Amino acid sequence: MSITAIDRTGQPVATDHFDNRAMPDRSDSPAGRRQVALVDLLDRLLGAGVVLSGDITISIAGVDLVEVRLRALITSVRAEMRATDPGADRPLAGGARR
Amino acid sequence: MSDVTNEPMAEPMGGGPAESIGAGTASYVYLAARDIPDDAVAGITGLESQPVRLVRNAGLTAVVSTVDLAEFGEDGLRRNLEDLAWLEHVARSHNGVVHHFGRQTAVAPWRLATIMLDDERVAGLLADWEHQLKASLDRVAGCSEWSVKMITELSADQRTETDQPTSGTAYLQRRRAEYSRQNSAQEQAAAAADRVHATLSGLTAASRRLPPQDRRLTGHRGEMMLNGAYLVPDDRSEEFSALVGELGADLPESRLELGGPWPPYSFATLETGA
Repeated sequence: MSITAIDRTGQPVATDHFDNRAMPDRSDSPAGRRQVALVDLLDRLLGAGVVLSGDITISIAGVDLVEVRLRALITSVRAEMRATDPGADRPLAGGARR
Repeated sequence: MSDVTNEPMAEPMGGGPAESIGAGTASYVYLAARDIPDDAVAGITGLESQPVRLVRNAGLTAVVSTVDLAEFGEDGLRRNLEDLAWLEHVARSHNGVVHHFGRQTAVAPWRLATIMLDDERVAGLLADWEHQLKASLDRVAGCSEWSVKMITELSADQRTETDQPTSGTAYLQRRRAEYSRQNSAQEQAAAAADRVHATLSGLTAASRRLPPQDRRLTGHRGEMMLNGAYLVPDDRSEEFSALVGELGADLPESRLELGGPWPPYSFATLETGA
């Protein structure tokens, strides 16, 4: 699974598996791309798929998934900001500065 | 009735059925498909490196593995979902299994962390949902999911160092002009995103617009005007990516990002309440 910036010919970089290869997007660091790919994955794994409801399952259906997801991720981004040198030009920190 | 293969529920609860869902083991469901041959699961592992196994019923096959309820029970999940490292690990493991089988046959991926108490219940669910699952599998057969995002730089602020306001009135006028420029840029970008989505949808078997992602999560610069999911027949994937490239070339202010192919996560959703 990967995120691909379209190249000039409109072709995506060949994709392989789910290990989020680095893609040729100059504006993003590998850490940023990895985070983007994870957000894409969670968009789908939490927000879609065959969804159970009712009492037959102990799924996480009772939890507000989107809220949980965002809370978890924002927490992580903040943690990463704190861990990052304030002078470093990192997309995660840059995005979170707003 | 239920034809459950390999019943490895290792540690039955001390002397009775699981009254509490905080202890013991359970079956984690990755996906459903019509048929997966027995030998296709040999050597394949899922979460916690547990081997995956097949549960068959009603002409359907589910791929499951055993998980520990201390981690995946209701309390464990509530706690663990707040832990990004845990969430990422589970998401990637889940995705790995779905992706593996998705390369071989049409699959209906299940939502992350769908846990059933045992394989019998998984089998029961396959029977209960036979028609919806089969309809879902027919819908996604021969297709993959692609993601197209449109990110627009709405940089209304283009003043230079020398362009400082000389009075309060000038300042307010400039702010007003900036505001209206920004508004119209936003509207134009939104209209462009609608056009991109409509054009791409014309080539696809199905499409959905997912909520735009928060830049605090992704770190992207600019505004995400489109976060689209497209179910593309595999024999049209080149045509699709070429179309994305053409559309992107016509949008100087925006960047289109293509991702995929994914298993059809956004298109296997069953009709709820059915």
